[in-house]
Amino acid sequence: MSKQPLVLLIDDDEWLTARYTRLLERAGFAARNVGDVLEGIEAIDQLRPSVIVLDLFMPGPNGIVLLHEIRSHSDLSQIPIILCTNSASDLDHKSMTAYGVVVILDKTTMRPEDIVTKVRAVL
Amino acid sequence: MEEARDSVVRRGEGALLWRTPLFIAAAHELKSPLALIRQLALSLEEEDCSPQEIERVIRQIILTSERALRLTTDLTKTARLEDSLFDLEPFNPISLCEEVAEELQPLYRAKGRRLRISPRTRPLLGLANRDLLRRILTGFADNALHYANSEDDVVVSARSYNGGERIRLGVRDYGPALPTHVWRRLESSLGVSPTPLPARPNSSGLGVYIAKQFAEAMNAEIGAIRHQDGATFYVDIAASTQTRLL
Repeated sequence: MSKQPLVLLIDDDEWLTARYTRLLERAGFAARNVGDVLEGIEAIDQLRPSVIVLDLFMPGPNGIVLLHEIRSHSDLSQIPIILCTNSASDLDHKSMTAYGVVVILDKTTMRPEDIVTKVRAVL
Repeated sequence: MEEARDSVVRRGEGALLWRTPLFIAAAHELKSPLALIRQLALSLEEEDCSPQEIERVIRQIILTSERALRLTTDLTKTARLEDSLFDLEPFNPISLCEEVAEELQPLYRAKGRRLRISPRTRPLLGLANRDLLRRILTGFADNALHYANSEDDVVVSARSYNGGERIRLGVRDYGPALPTHVWRRLESSLGVSPTPLPARPNSSGLGVYIAKQFAEAMNAEIGAIRHQDGATFYVDIAASTQTRLL
């Protein structure tokens, strides 16, 4: 039996991540949620997810800190990162790509099932 | 007539220019609940949900929209502070704390958190504008929900100090200590700056700005205490001398 790809969602909005988790699991992925960047770094280290879905602004260090951290570890820098944020329109997409972000999803315009579509696309 | 209209336009333009950073902060603060409401509503439309799941998501939509409406009401009130007179009245601070807790209890429960009142045996009588004070305290308690850890209660309290002449109403949360650089910015925003500054990591500081405007409108003061394990945001008001009402 093949192992399900693991999607790690790092977002402080537990109501939203509960919806995304449900959609991902129904689509055949395993999904885990954490609510801040420090927990996220720990979870990445322990779980080695196939994809990371990252919010930018959370209590404590922001998502950019996590992007820096991942970039500094060669064994982690290959994990595709999907940025899922309310601030997509304010971001410099080129610099986000340099940080290893492969897709930027705008929470203000996306549909929930876009999470599944984009995760499939980057795997 | 035209002169009056021009005057209104000029006044409006002035207000807009002066408040540009505030508008940006407000737009950012409102974007988050609006995006959440949209995502939750879309998930109801697209997913095959059980009746219990539908009920839960509808509740989340209601609570999120109420938070956004509180913010818009506060912003509207802030914009009208200069033209208004706010009566100060004697009131029971503990009863006000209870009202705030009751209002926010559904939101706390839905997030799996607890909000409680610090017990007090001696009666207190404060002097303030009850509506503005309630808005300040509700804002602090709403903010604490996002920064407190899930294990500890958020505590709303009222106590007298300065020989009974002043009353402090505060909201204590337990969570990671604020980094020093964030604390310095917070102290600055509690001081003289009219520009919203980050009150917490990745916060626009809009809540603190609004609370400060409300406090100044009734001669009260807001402040914050940094703890090793969280923070207390408080508002200081005068105690009423009408002790016979107690």
